[in-house]
Amino acid sequence: MEAIADTSFLVDWARFSHRDLLFRVFRVVWIPEDVLNEVQSERTLMWIADRLASGDMSLFPLLPEYRDRALRLVELSRRGPTRGLDFPEAYCIAVAEDRGYIALSENGAAYAAQFLYTTARVWRAYEVLWELRSRGLVPDDAIFTYQEETKHKFPQRDIQRWRDCRS
Amino acid sequence: MERLQELIDREREARELRRREADWNYINSLPPRVRAAIKLFIETGNLRLSQKVSGLGLEEFVEHLRRANVWVT
Repeated sequence: MEAIADTSFLVDWARFSHRDLLFRVFRVVWIPEDVLNEVQSERTLMWIADRLASGDMSLFPLLPEYRDRALRLVELSRRGPTRGLDFPEAYCIAVAEDRGYIALSENGAAYAAQFLYTTARVWRAYEVLWELRSRGLVPDDAIFTYQEETKHKFPQRDIQRWRDCRS
Repeated sequence: MERLQELIDREREARELRRREADWNYINSLPPRVRAAIKLFIETGNLRLSQKVSGLGLEEFVEHLRRANVWVT
């Protein structure tokens, strides 16, 4: 499986002590050039540079066919009843729907998009942790560790679902 | 239709969570432009629009959200 990640996912995931388990789920995580330009902190940049060097991550160029599709997704999303997409997330989704990648994003608009107007699958850290737990790679309390270490909070309904489906 | 309603409920719950858990002492200590941007994010959840209003880079803006107990969902 391969993924393409946006900034909102990377800046949180990079704070997680088990962040490199991401590459037990995904053979390659693609980083769009625009996303790389948004990352500023030393912590996140060093992690990305390290993983680019190892080949676990790879840079994804700005290709015109995906740029056009992303712009159409942005326009489409802003007509709907949920939050509108911004271009960087839309670009990840455009690539993911064509190539069968998973789009990684914490943006609620991207999460909603997969149910409304794209065939791409969008995972948050929550779904990655779920997958890691189902493979026995993280313990049951991983989601709470993640929240503590990254200061990212998941919706209560998702926490309840996590508790209800203990491995 | 059920899925759409769930997505709308998720948006509403996320907004309520952002309002409820925000550290207003921290937010009110920030420069006006950043303060306004965080308030905008709390109400709309629109990350990049809020970041543009703040005048900060995305990651720096997210760091302020983190310190203000405002969750990106």
